[in-house]
Amino acid sequence: MRRALGVVLAAALVAGVALFVQRPDPVDAQGGGTVEVTVTYNGAPVVEKLKVNKDTEKCGTEAVIEKVVVGGNKGLANAVVSVPTAKGAPKMAKATVDQHGCKFVPHVTAMTPGDLELKNSDDILHNIHTYSTANPSINKAQPKFKKVMMEKFEKPEIIKLTCDVHSWMLGWVAVLPTPFFAVSDASGAAKIENVPAGKQTVEVWHETLGKQTKEVDVKAGQVVKVGFEMKK
Amino acid sequence: MRAIVLVGALASAVFLFASASPAGAQAGDAQAGRAVYERKCALCHGEKGDGKGPGADLLDPRPRDFTTGIYKIRTTVNKTPTDRDLFDVITRGMPGTFMPAWDVLPEKDRWNLVAYLKAFAADKFKEAPKKQELPKEVASSPESIRRGKEMYEAIECNKCHGAEGRADGPSRPELKDEWGHPIRPANLTKRWTFRGGGGRAEIAMRLTTGVLGTPMPSFIDSVEKPDDIWHLANYLASLGPESPHYATLLTAEAVNGDIPADPVAEFWKRMAPQNIPLVGQVTIDPRNFNPSIDMVALRAAWNDKEVAFHVTWDDPTQSGADAAKKASPDVVSLQFPQKVAEGADRPYFLMGGDADAVYLLRWENGKGATEASANGPTRIVPLAGGEVTGQAAYANGQYRLVLKRPLVSKGPDRPTFQPAVFLPIAFQAWDGGAGETGAKMSLTSWYYLRLEEPQSSRRFVVPPVVAILTFAAMLLVVRVANRRA
Ligand SMILES: [Cu+2]
Repeated sequence: MRRALGVVLAAALVAGVALFVQRPDPVDAQGGGTVEVTVTYNGAPVVEKLKVNKDTEKCGTEAVIEKVVVGGNKGLANAVVSVPTAKGAPKMAKATVDQHGCKFVPHVTAMTPGDLELKNSDDILHNIHTYSTANPSINKAQPKFKKVMMEKFEKPEIIKLTCDVHSWMLGWVAVLPTPFFAVSDASGAAKIENVPAGKQTVEVWHETLGKQTKEVDVKAGQVVKVGFEMKK
Repeated sequence: MRAIVLVGALASAVFLFASASPAGAQAGDAQAGRAVYERKCALCHGEKGDGKGPGADLLDPRPRDFTTGIYKIRTTVNKTPTDRDLFDVITRGMPGTFMPAWDVLPEKDRWNLVAYLKAFAADKFKEAPKKQELPKEVASSPESIRRGKEMYEAIECNKCHGAEGRADGPSRPELKDEWGHPIRPANLTKRWTFRGGGGRAEIAMRLTTGVLGTPMPSFIDSVEKPDDIWHLANYLASLGPESPHYATLLTAEAVNGDIPADPVAEFWKRMAPQNIPLVGQVTIDPRNFNPSIDMVALRAAWNDKEVAFHVTWDDPTQSGADAAKKASPDVVSLQFPQKVAEGADRPYFLMGGDADAVYLLRWENGKGATEASANGPTRIVPLAGGEVTGQAAYANGQYRLVLKRPLVSKGPDRPTFQPAVFLPIAFQAWDGGAGETGAKMSLTSWYYLRLEEPQSSRRFVVPPVVAILTFAAMLLVVRVANRRA
């Protein structure tokens, strides 16, 4: 009897957790639109290379610093696309940056204010050194045995991530005031779903090519396409 | 009677202690602080506190920009330092920088300065400082030091500070401060150069909070157990003395028998080092405002045939001459007057003058030991018929070198070494890896070296006489130095 109760309780718990995880975004109910963004850049990629003389087992012998990544059809990767005028509940999924192969993976992370999980899967020392103004900047060692650290970023701003042990390591965390965001892929495409209908502003930010905005009219159940051409 | 004296001594000790460390911070008056600031600080830090005073461009590291409100040394969890933190930096200065200790200023002036400095970044100081608590103190012990060493290796302090702490880690050349200026890691074997103080608690605090604006991160969340902060501090404190105990008069020990040419021989380890501070050469161009080598340790011995100098110095990079890479070699040189005459004036300390040459015993990485005579840094002439031999070892950011020469010189362009004479000696060093070459060097002014007479019964009879003579000689040295300066 007691055992049966246990099973029922466990099942209830699992169901509860599942419900919680799958809780639909409130916007869904009213029906939003999709914003499909293409970011392009008419210039050449900017890739810096550096000879590595330490931790080569983990870092390789050459560090590649990708400052401007241009794919097919001039698509610009690693651009943060967001709809700052659209408000909604913060994203449930936690944002994660891994230090892997002496690189920040992904190179650009977007998140809403809250916790950022910092992983070190390299088995060597890194230090998380952030450059920020709205949030307290941090400089914390993450030795090999510290596989995961959590940091709180409560104010929207774009934060630079560096590591002093490996000076080439560079990453960005965009803490955004809206849960409607995406990071452009290798072809420069970014898709934001369930954007509340109405007049909205779409913003693009890139680490070296700056910021651009455009107005769009989002219609429920429809896709609106926007193109951005980034300039130096 | 004795008890009364004791009580009196105790009372005065307590009083001294109390007055040396006032219980708490005092509220300063910013307006009064301004007057002091403009007299004492503005030349480097600028009238507006932006670190752009008329003298700032000469300084490396650059003076602090107070308008950022960022301070390296703090005892707080957040960025805001306490008044006491600022007061302590003003009082102690920042070793290894141009920031002197201002303990000469009345305490009241220093508290007023604190208030004025805060006014340069009033918005940053709106956030109250949050005191950083340290884990419960762990006393130093062999076990604690062992655990600290284990942690040092596990958290890879060596990446910047080097395997033995001599600031020679592989990340060293890449390090920059938050303003993009190159920055050197601390040499952990020289605690007296630590910016925030070299005591165990101060080291534990730096490990806990990190050093703001520099690559030095906070480790409080990055050790296995909070106690490890103290084990690390105990280990770091074990790497070197708290003070360098600089030598005043240098001596060479008389030895019966051979003197080993090997710099790592046990013979040399048994001998106590005589530490000598070096400063950047700033008299002539190119000046060396941020010298790499700040100390050499001398051990010296002589026997009936030869004199040997054992020199130890820290250099984070072992570099030889390389014309293709425009790289300069590491060099050290011992300087003596060419002629040692009783009562004669010493040559100009900066490698001699037009009329008075100096004799140099030089060692260069890749080339070995040579002799030269010089009439200034740009007029160095190698001496033929070498009488000097040298052997060096480099490991973990440190050179050890033995230079040997016959006591008696062959010609008039070299001095002869005689016992019981105060022989002028000076030192120069170049860190080729830091781009030091030519006049860009670190150096000392003249010191005196004395070849101690062989141990005999007389030695035990005359110590008071020797002591008085030594004292008189020291007074003479100080007077001469003052007159020259
Ligand atoms: Cu790293």
